[in-house]
Amino acid sequence: MHLSVNGHDYEVAGEVGTTLAEALRDDLALTGTKIACGEGHCGACTVLVDGAPILSCITLLHSLDGARVTTIEGLRDHAMIDSFVRSDALQCGFCTPGQIVSAVALVESTPSPTREQIRHAMAGNLCRCGAYPKIEEAIRTWRD
Amino acid sequence: MARLIRTEKEVEGRYEEVWLVVDEDALEQWPAGPREIVGRPAPRVDGRERATGQAVYTADLQLPGMLHAAVLRSPHPRARVARLDLSPALASPGVHAAIGPDDIPQLTADCNYQGEAVAAVCADTLAQARDAVAAIDCEFEVLEPLIDPDEAVRRGELLGGEPRTRERGDYERGLAEADVVVEGEYRTQVVLHNSMETHQAVVEWVGDGVEVHISTQYIWGIRAAVAEGLGLPGDKVRVICHYMGGGFGSKNSPDDYTLIAAELAKRTARPVKCALTRREENTAAGNRNATIQRLTVGARSDGTLTALGGEFVNAVGWGGWSSGTEGPMQMLYTCPNVRTTTYGAKLNLPPMKAFRAPGFVEGTFGLEALLDELAAKLDLDPLELRRRNHAAEDEVDGRPYSSKNLLECYRRAQPHWDRRHEVRARSTDVVKRGVGMASQIWYGGGGPPSYAWVRVGSDGRATVVTAMQDIGTGTKTAMAQIAAEELGIPLEHVTVSVGDSARGPYAAISAGSSTTPSMGPAVRAAAADARRQIEEIAEQRGTPDAPPEEIVGLLESAQILGKGARGPNPTGMQVLTFGVQVAEVAVDVETGEVWVERIAAIHDVGRVINPLGASSQVEGGIIQGIGHTLSEQRLHDPATGRLLTTTLDAYKLPTIADVPEIVSELIDVPDEHLTNLGSKGLGEPPIIPVAAAIANAIRDATGADVRELPISREEMLRALREAAAREKGKVGAQAGV
Amino acid sequence: MELRRASSLELDGGTPVHGGTEVVPLLRAGLLQTETLVDIRGVVPRGIDGDRIGAGVPLADLECDPTIPAALREACRLAASPQLRTMGSLGGNLLQATRCWYWRLNWPCRLHGGDECFAHEGEHREHAIFANDFCASAHPSDVAAALLALDATVRTSRRELPLADLYRLPTDDDPSTTTLERGEVLLEVEVPQADASVYLKAMERKRWAFPIVGVAAARRDGATRVALAGVAPIPWLLTDGLESATPLPRNAYKVDVAKALVKRARAAIDT
Repeated sequence: MHLSVNGHDYEVAGEVGTTLAEALRDDLALTGTKIACGEGHCGACTVLVDGAPILSCITLLHSLDGARVTTIEGLRDHAMIDSFVRSDALQCGFCTPGQIVSAVALVESTPSPTREQIRHAMAGNLCRCGAYPKIEEAIRTWRD
Repeated sequence: MARLIRTEKEVEGRYEEVWLVVDEDALEQWPAGPREIVGRPAPRVDGRERATGQAVYTADLQLPGMLHAAVLRSPHPRARVARLDLSPALASPGVHAAIGPDDIPQLTADCNYQGEAVAAVCADTLAQARDAVAAIDCEFEVLEPLIDPDEAVRRGELLGGEPRTRERGDYERGLAEADVVVEGEYRTQVVLHNSMETHQAVVEWVGDGVEVHISTQYIWGIRAAVAEGLGLPGDKVRVICHYMGGGFGSKNSPDDYTLIAAELAKRTARPVKCALTRREENTAAGNRNATIQRLTVGARSDGTLTALGGEFVNAVGWGGWSSGTEGPMQMLYTCPNVRTTTYGAKLNLPPMKAFRAPGFVEGTFGLEALLDELAAKLDLDPLELRRRNHAAEDEVDGRPYSSKNLLECYRRAQPHWDRRHEVRARSTDVVKRGVGMASQIWYGGGGPPSYAWVRVGSDGRATVVTAMQDIGTGTKTAMAQIAAEELGIPLEHVTVSVGDSARGPYAAISAGSSTTPSMGPAVRAAAADARRQIEEIAEQRGTPDAPPEEIVGLLESAQILGKGARGPNPTGMQVLTFGVQVAEVAVDVETGEVWVERIAAIHDVGRVINPLGASSQVEGGIIQGIGHTLSEQRLHDPATGRLLTTTLDAYKLPTIADVPEIVSELIDVPDEHLTNLGSKGLGEPPIIPVAAAIANAIRDATGADVRELPISREEMLRALREAAAREKGKVGAQAGV
Repeated sequence: MELRRASSLELDGGTPVHGGTEVVPLLRAGLLQTETLVDIRGVVPRGIDGDRIGAGVPLADLECDPTIPAALREACRLAASPQLRTMGSLGGNLLQATRCWYWRLNWPCRLHGGDECFAHEGEHREHAIFANDFCASAHPSDVAAALLALDATVRTSRRELPLADLYRLPTDDDPSTTTLERGEVLLEVEVPQADASVYLKAMERKRWAFPIVGVAAARRDGATRVALAGVAPIPWLLTDGLESATPLPRNAYKVDVAKALVKRARAAIDT
């Protein structure tokens, strides 16, 4: 199974039924993408597929023919990372990669999102520690 | 110098008398106010690792040859295993070992709650392990469960056998003296921690010992419990936790999965990971238990309390403990006559675990809602009612407070409270707005022991070494700030090395708001020890005023090693935290929808080390409080007791769209009696008053008395109907109808 | 299990999958068993042509489309989570299964071919207030309610039918809630323009939740249609008024919520 991740090409062996999250974490050792629920409810597993934010824990690996996947590892130099750290937009950090991927997708299409736009676009990324107010601030100020 | 003392140790509101070896430290506290580094905002020292996904959590750990475990857990609240045959599992592809009730005490054939572990399997892949568990031939004899807490009380099925009664003064006389008596029954629901990283451990036998990688709040507690469970000396158990994805009180012990993994690892001579699925997490990994509170308050017409009484039923479940739901009633206000009886109902429901101020969140909801009903009856301003009943000293034990700035919290709350006229004025026919407040009391003094080492090299950089964990609260960063401040070096020159019981001394549990007040003073003492040694060298050299960089520059490969320990708490004093929150809400009186629009939180937790991290704790606690108040509830089927809300679509955590404006203020006055820092813990205080402040704001907006959490549409509409009927009754009476 | 790509609308057996937001979780939860998945993304239309919307259009595209009726746009905007709206299609949303916890946890209920509805005597706060005698599950699709109010027509690989006929109440002999036959694929939805339409949703948190009650109202040529989500095993066209609701002991509050939202929805689209 041919997979393009963060600009690199990989061959991934896997049974049909393997999810993208499992392939990323178990086969490619890209453990930045987290699995917190495995059922598509919490957003921790969010990655970009052809630039769009999707839930890798319910995406079948074998449905991704030719797609370009971007994980948190591929966003290492994005200004959003520094913005999150500066704003203290993380606590335990387990949901953070998924938050940042969703945030990056938002600002790609809407570079200066309003508070309402941020809340609407980030509602699929749960954070139990409650870093939400600072996540909002980090996204609002990401270009500062 | 080390000495042995007898002292009190408090965690999560439970006190025990202990003998402890402590080190005194003669450091003066820093004067109040922000220092060079302490008291100034600092981004997390490991923020980048977490944000980039580089941080390796237990969930991410892949050791060579590691096997994956899956567990067969009872689907029934009460059942006996009539037949168990593991051989189909052993024959399944990829399986290396399978264990059952005869093998370790963590597996049982006598199941008393849904999720109790019966058997476990390990295999090459997680999918294989799960398939093997499904293949186990297991037949349950389903038994009748006890799930109703009042029924358990009637039958005497109580944890510890007896209820807990606490009494001071003469409650009946106090009631008789009252001009006004208000009674109310309040209920709170079961809430699930839902840390984003589920409970899990990877265990590997190495030599004659064991290495345990675990998502935990208490490295040293795991070490002791695993050592005991495996019959090993403590030093043969290494516990490692560098990053963990949240705990909130649920990860203080090894539970079943750690020892299951240990046994499977022993049998296979391979590392074994045992991780809970989200559904298992929401079944058997712990919870904040439901409560029923039947409360009474008596007061004079000027608002001074003459009697407080309550019967509290904690629906504890099969195990855990009966938490201090009566604590706020006993401790928060001055009242000479108080009587509380608390029942810990033992039920066939999964055992409770500590969850961010266990008992006090629930008890503050009941007490503060009751007091607001009292204020309404007396036509007294609710904030003024609290002021009038401010306790100058602890009335439970008759001790002075080590510090208490609750009146200052009230003073700072006043401008937020004054907004209520303007807020109410913005009400429409359909959307009513109001403001409510609630006080908070909790522990947070921490205590000994905790130790740290500080290592300074010739480059003038320092490393803080201690085997503590950072559960997401940013305590690692606070430790760096304290060390940098004490040594007089830049924050960027301090590294904090934590997370490994083989590399560093004992550190306190990260629970009960105790990390900063326990660990912080130890780190400061260690840094001070290092600083003193550097100063002594400067003296010997005859250059007492030389800057430290010059002195350490002489070291070459030598190092300065400082050590420090947490001293004892002030004897004969109550070390507590205080606060108040003011909530602004809007209520759609036709649909029952509630919006929390603003919460002002003012907390007194002694000296604040990192205002940036502290504000995140306040926000996080408030947001968890909002979930608790409005949308979270673990439900079970009433007939069978089986759980229904084990997934994150059914169990509704707050999203970013549910967050109000949060304004937080910390009094930031050091507790002059408490350690060389004067800092208390902040992890729990912010969640405590949220539900009450919101319920009281709803009453202000609509006149409706909310008596049950969560404040669902159903509960809100019920309360509105009740309020409307009450109004009609009044109008009818006035019209002589 | 095998995953193959459909090259035509003759699926040749197998379970169709599009965005996977429904099929994959059901597979992994053991609520769906199949040997063959058939990826139909290549054969289901993905575009918008006037009033005709391809069943493969993601909800995320519809939520900001100014040319479609407001009720449909708003139902899409408030549905699910941003990621699910990106992954999930219009067709998939219409065909999604109930969130009833008894069904989702695989209790042997009527929808699973058993002979009991556990919600009746059990925990039913999220369940149906109409047509709940046999099965009290609630239909979770916001979009279906909007399209029902808009009187949409659906085109499948075999026929054309009013959206209302896509659904059926479960019965003793057949527990399914849709009328799609095996191998029949939803292709397009035709949504006639309305003079005015609106969708109002009551949910338990501000975003990413299924409807407690969703109310869609559409006015066309002087006639108003009102349809509800979350109140019956299928999307519910309100013809007899809320007085005909048959709530269960602990979900009567839904009637109050529905009353308020229906009143507001009608007022919102009144000239």
